[in-house]
Amino acid sequence: MNLKDLLSPFFVWQRAFEKPYTTLRPTIDRPGAPAYRGFHINVSEECVGCGSCHAICQNQAIDMVAVEEFAGRKADSGLRPRFDYGRCCWCGLCVDICTAGSLRMSNEYAWITEDPTEFHFTAGVDDKPWQNNELGYRRAEGYHLYPPKRIEMDMLSPDESVQSFEEVARGYSEEQARKEADRCVECGICVATCPAHMDVPDYIHSIRDGDYEKGLQLMYRTNPFPATCGRICTRRCESVCPVGILGEPVAIRWLKRFIVDQVDAQDYQRILNDRISESGHRVAIIGAGPGGLSAAYYLRKNGHAVTVFEAHEAGGGMLRYGVPSYRLPDDDLDKDIDYIVSLGVDIRYNTRIGKDIDFEQLLADYDAVFLSTGLSVPSNMRIQGEQHARVLSGLQVLADVASGRDPGIGSQVAVIGGGNVAMDAARVSRRLGADVTLLYRRRIADMPADTEEIHESQEEGCHFVPQAIPVEIIAADNPQQVSIKWGEAEMVPDPKGGRPRPVLQEDRMHTDTYDCIISAIGQGSDLDFLSKEIQEQLAIEWGKFTPAEYQQSALKKIFVGGDVANRTADAISAIEDGHHAARGIERLLNPDKFTAK
Amino acid sequence: MNTVDEILDYAIDQEQQAADFYADLAGRAEKAGMKDILLEFAAEEQRHKERLLAVKTGEHELTPEQEVLDLKISDYLVEVETTDDISYQDALIVAMKRERAAYELYSDMAARIPESNLREVFVGLAREEAKHKLFFESEYDERVLVDN
Repeated sequence: MNLKDLLSPFFVWQRAFEKPYTTLRPTIDRPGAPAYRGFHINVSEECVGCGSCHAICQNQAIDMVAVEEFAGRKADSGLRPRFDYGRCCWCGLCVDICTAGSLRMSNEYAWITEDPTEFHFTAGVDDKPWQNNELGYRRAEGYHLYPPKRIEMDMLSPDESVQSFEEVARGYSEEQARKEADRCVECGICVATCPAHMDVPDYIHSIRDGDYEKGLQLMYRTNPFPATCGRICTRRCESVCPVGILGEPVAIRWLKRFIVDQVDAQDYQRILNDRISESGHRVAIIGAGPGGLSAAYYLRKNGHAVTVFEAHEAGGGMLRYGVPSYRLPDDDLDKDIDYIVSLGVDIRYNTRIGKDIDFEQLLADYDAVFLSTGLSVPSNMRIQGEQHARVLSGLQVLADVASGRDPGIGSQVAVIGGGNVAMDAARVSRRLGADVTLLYRRRIADMPADTEEIHESQEEGCHFVPQAIPVEIIAADNPQQVSIKWGEAEMVPDPKGGRPRPVLQEDRMHTDTYDCIISAIGQGSDLDFLSKEIQEQLAIEWGKFTPAEYQQSALKKIFVGGDVANRTADAISAIEDGHHAARGIERLLNPDKFTAK
Repeated sequence: MNTVDEILDYAIDQEQQAADFYADLAGRAEKAGMKDILLEFAAEEQRHKERLLAVKTGEHELTPEQEVLDLKISDYLVEVETTDDISYQDALIVAMKRERAAYELYSDMAARIPESNLREVFVGLAREEAKHKLFFESEYDERVLVDN
């Protein structure tokens, strides 16, 4: 080694005092471009945890993880996206697909840490300095990876629809159904919200695959009334569909209907392939509505001999006698009922428990009893003059029309109420040729009826008079007519913070004359078939049962469900009650199957 | 009734009578679940009575002067009979009508006597009854006028 080699390292030290060629912490002076695809921002409050970001990520860089803060929120899975920056390529597809528009990217791109596990983080939950960055990549306004608007259902025009009782909604074509099915992001938030927990994403997927038989099988797992629910379901699923946050929710109900409409009833046996092995147990069901027949279907599948006692001459309950055929044609209701009956369910029509057969006898003869008798007694207005012969009940008018009888409403009709019965009574009256005025105590926005029904009633020419309180029924000069005195109402705040309440303004009264007044202000239960002793043993509040787990009553052989045992009083809830009760009865009859071994 | 105590004793007795009325009806009720509802009504009247007892002993004041919302629901409903098979709807109508009658009684008495301490007591009692009426009318609005 010569002397130069020995000293050269020391000469390098002189460089230490020169200006460096590299820049220390370059990002301080060089921020990302305004639309740069940098680190992710998620506005967790807006996110609903649909998982579309997870599904679309080509690098599998996004996991959906449970975040306690959001557990149990309505229309929310309670999950939030967790990013793995060892995998992310910052393509931005997750931002483009985000149904809630909560996911964005900041223009921050430098993150220096010695701990590599930090690059695995839950955006919007883990505290990061770029969470509130205004700059960065955002989805362009109006840009959607799926169409924000649903495929419109072909409907009869209002002018056409009032001419007959023909079904108003015409159904999707195959092309329309596939296009609409393509809008589903398969998040499954709808499954949690549906009372029957129908497997919505998978049956919609079956439409994409063109495999309608599979779709039918999936639906029957939790709902033996798909033809019915495909037409008149209250579709809570759609109210939580995340596609509806920035656009219109997927038309889940119409897609369900499409699947059922593609399958002939005669093929049901082959497709559903319900094989029954007799158990030797006997179960009685009171009421052949959706609750009773749903229980009958699942009980029969378990091999039990099922007898349904029905007071009317046909099955379906309110679906047949309360829902007019322009919304639910009899043939479609019968498609559901006929398959249940085909499994060997015995329905005894025109048989009223308490009159034709004692309830106690039923209780003695069967291993379990399911009560699903519905709400069949119309509430009275309890105002002066209500007993007038030209005051009709909405339920009776609908039952008359369903049975082919003329309800004799005349040509000028007033309907009182804002629920679905009132809407149907009004629309039926229009189809019978009457001019219809609908009086409602509160605002149109407060009406408990389905918004679609409200809209269609108005389109068909029903004249709505909101904030109108009936106070007296008065005999008209013409005995074929009747007058109603009503007063205008002002909405005032509820002192206890509830919804605003209507208060009658006594200085603004009106009297109008009609050919009839149809009262549709609500309905209650008829439990008179139960003895006082049994009633006292069952938990009943305000005319409704309050069942325990599996719809079981305080008397362990008696299970209850449907409108007479739930608050929602809709078909899908009754169907789930029936399914749930069937599971409860199975536990009662075959406890060994459920004992841990 | 010439003294404040006499008036309050009368009002307390009325509340007790109301509680007894509902308890008696509960014992005879035939419809499912009505017994519990009527016993709830009786308990509500007992609470009214206890409130007035507290007013009498000076522990509590009558409702301060402020407008009590009048929904006017019971004003236009027909009278109903208190039969053994009374329904939920009719039980609420009975309760609303009773509170309305009490409200009108105290209001009427307050209007008949000159400005005085006694009159203030009647006005206060009327407001108490108006609050009770509002309680039952709100129940009726929520539970009976569901679709209306």
